[in-house]
Amino acid sequence: MKKSAAVLFAIATLAFKPVPSKLVSSDAHISFFSHTPLEDISSNNYKVVSTLEKQTGEVVFSVPMQSFEFEKALMQQHFNSKDFLNTKKYPKAKFIGKISNLSEINFSKNGTYQANATGELTIKDVTKPVTAKGTLTILNGKVTLNTKMKMTLADYKITFSKGKPSTNVAKEIELTTLANYIEQN
Amino acid sequence: MSGFHPSCVLYFKQEKAVKKSVKRNIAIGAVIGILAGAAIVIYLFNMPQRDVQATKTDFSLAASTVVNEYLSNADSANEKYLQEDGDSKILAVKGQIYSITEDLKHQKVILLKDSAEKAGVSCTFTSETNAHVSSLLPGETVTIKGVIRSGAGYDEDLDLYENVIMEKCDIIK
Repeated sequence: MKKSAAVLFAIATLAFKPVPSKLVSSDAHISFFSHTPLEDISSNNYKVVSTLEKQTGEVVFSVPMQSFEFEKALMQQHFNSKDFLNTKKYPKAKFIGKISNLSEINFSKNGTYQANATGELTIKDVTKPVTAKGTLTILNGKVTLNTKMKMTLADYKITFSKGKPSTNVAKEIELTTLANYIEQN
Repeated sequence: MSGFHPSCVLYFKQEKAVKKSVKRNIAIGAVIGILAGAAIVIYLFNMPQRDVQATKTDFSLAASTVVNEYLSNADSANEKYLQEDGDSKILAVKGQIYSITEDLKHQKVILLKDSAEKAGVSCTFTSETNAHVSSLLPGETVTIKGVIRSGAGYDEDLDLYENVIMEKCDIIK
């Protein structure tokens, strides 16, 4: 009797133990690219933290803004300054979204899946709805997410009215992300 | 009217000469000014990134100290450590190595954290300083110098504690 109770208890504990479903990427990469006839500008950030919840499809990106690096120091200073990204006041940008076609993705089967995400991107104090298309690659439990999307700077009150930035920075830039996820322990 | 007195003629000649040399000086000054301006613009435009390791350390402290400053008041910690132009404070942080990993740029990343703590200081090295990490092991205590990029804190959307981020790091002790 005692034995069966113990077995029952063990089964119950196993059954109710939450399955780890959250994936974490602690050093994801975001880059952006701006093209104008005068100049091509790119910047990279390798310090992005992201989570991906397999059960709900929720995706979060937290972006430390001062980790964006530019080829030229002056560009980096402009980027951080009060007039543009104001990174001292707003040190992080954030994307919160959901994979809308989660049912088409099988996390336990190797393959490359298209992932569509809709959500909200917050830069400085402005939050806007965004949609992004990406690919999820699953290889022996390793999950990689690639996305590419366009972004209009003026939507986030990032505007350049005079000087070099107004002619050399594109109105619409391209954002690329790459994240390798591991199970949270 | 037989003309000016000879001394007057001399005076006019001198004045002409003075005017000429003033004009010449202005022209030379303008050229120097334009060249200097252009040189400053070119210098600023091509100015290299700050060499963090060659720059004076602003704060020397324990990893847990800076983490706790952020956890207790992120705004005042940002005010203290972040700079508006992105060239934020340079810290020398002492702590225990929790993990050694590599980011997507193949830079070594050391997390300084006590296993009992919620957050630590994540220190990213560079292609030049990566090699200095190779002999280190988790559990060792080291001092790492680098520039702070962002602070620690609990993020409810990630449902995680984020670490303090430092980059351009090197081991100094």
